[in-house]
Amino acid sequence: MLQFWRIIQAGSRNFLRNMWLSTAATAVMTVTLTIVVISFISNSALTSTIKGVTDKIDVSIFLSDSVTPQQRDAFKAKLESDSNVTSVSYKSKADALADYRRQNAGDQKLLEAISETDNPLPASFQIKTRDPNKLDSVTAIVNQPDNKALLDPTSPPTYSGNRKTTIDRIVRFSNFFKTTGLVLSIIFVIISTLIIFNTIRMAIFTRRDEIEIMKLVGATKWFIRGPFLFEAALYGIIAALIAAALSFTLLLGGGPKLGSYIDVQSTIAFFRSYPVLIVLGEMIIGIIIGTFSSLMAMSRYLKL
Amino acid sequence: MILFDRVTKVYPNQSIALSGLNLHIQPKEFVTIVGSSGAGKSTLIKLLTREEIHTSGKIIVGGLDYDTITPRDVPLVRRRIGVVFQDFKLLPNRRVGENVAFALEVSGARGREIKRAVPKMLQLVGLAAKEHSFPEELSGGERQRVAIARALIRQPKILIADEPTGNLDPKNAWEIIELLLKINRFGTTVLLTTHNKEIVNALKRRVITINRGRIVRDDEQGRYTLETPSNLKGASTSPATGKEAK
Repeated sequence: MLQFWRIIQAGSRNFLRNMWLSTAATAVMTVTLTIVVISFISNSALTSTIKGVTDKIDVSIFLSDSVTPQQRDAFKAKLESDSNVTSVSYKSKADALADYRRQNAGDQKLLEAISETDNPLPASFQIKTRDPNKLDSVTAIVNQPDNKALLDPTSPPTYSGNRKTTIDRIVRFSNFFKTTGLVLSIIFVIISTLIIFNTIRMAIFTRRDEIEIMKLVGATKWFIRGPFLFEAALYGIIAALIAAALSFTLLLGGGPKLGSYIDVQSTIAFFRSYPVLIVLGEMIIGIIIGTFSSLMAMSRYLKL
Repeated sequence: MILFDRVTKVYPNQSIALSGLNLHIQPKEFVTIVGSSGAGKSTLIKLLTREEIHTSGKIIVGGLDYDTITPRDVPLVRRRIGVVFQDFKLLPNRRVGENVAFALEVSGARGREIKRAVPKMLQLVGLAAKEHSFPEELSGGERQRVAIARALIRQPKILIADEPTGNLDPKNAWEIIELLLKINRFGTTVLLTTHNKEIVNALKRRVITINRGRIVRDDEQGRYTLETPSNLKGASTSPATGKEAK
């Protein structure tokens, strides 16, 4: 325990003695950890955005007014049997009218255009699917001749509309974003590993006399290595604190502004509920990067 | 205390530093080792401090057989032997007291113990007043005293002084030698290597002369002689000790 304390003291002293190198190493580590966190944030925000968007798109199939309840139920059962379909809900003409009234509550003219007795809105099935990009099987069911006869001739199903391409674009964009984040994270992890490697290498060179004396007076290998390890871990710890502060500021400050484009609420909520977990997570990543590079540098340059 | 039995050291580049060297040093002896550069003195010391490992033969120091040492034991071996060098090897950014304390810190001594031991040791080497100075503020002789204090702070049974006077003027050199004699009187085995003829001749202690990895003279009250072919011949049957000297 006493030795451990002395190692920490020596490591901290080394950190302060090479202030410039330490600052550079900590700065790079900060950038790396911030990128890792931001990449994690955008990943989870985009995932939840896409989930939100795809949850909202349901295929709507409008039914002709002449459909009997038996026909309706048979059609519904067929749709539900498809493996890509998660749910099929029926919306009657009255429900459609109620929705219409709610959506246009402020517009008297639009409200007056439709009355109870003369309801032109068709009944419909709202279909939710597992994968909105693979609607071929649903289309096939709908296009079977006896099913097709049940459709409202004036309102074609909405699955083939422009929304799919829009969604595709969002998915592609977010996949690109996620990949970029991952690649950037990896690149910066490598950069900071190299920089810390070099910092520790320099530290070993500048302190080689001291190391020689330590060996001479009978210091154990880990007593000599310990301070270099701790010094590198310290870069990670300090960088994690700065990076956490940065990412919290970015997320809580910038998040609401992004609110209308992407869904950051769930990410913000996660950050709010587990701040300690996040700081600890960053520290662990930082410590792993630091000690790993330090160990690498020592195995090459510190011959004991 | 120190036993070398037919010790040979061959470096990876095939140069033979010691060849079949036999050496026996009793506890509390004061032994001077002389020899020209490259004779094998440094190798002898490096084998003792386990900076190098002998190729063959047997080394036993203070009852410890060096063949049984694992890499883990090396620090413990070094803690049993104090070493002083020509270039002092002090930490420039630590004060005198801290330099001496350093040897105790690495071996896990408690703070209280260190606080008690360091001033005592500095007193012994005559530097009580300099505890808070930095090495660069000291003279060469004083620096060597700090190094000696550091070597002794763990109370080793053996003190190796490798050319301790090489960088010092005659007055300072003598003070260091007198300090080594004093330490020897307290019961520490001292192993001194030097090129200083006057010191060796004035000491009138055991002198071992090494040449080309072998002991060519071993005299109880030796004088400084570097080998020439004539005295090399005489050395193999050194009448001064009656001991076998190879």
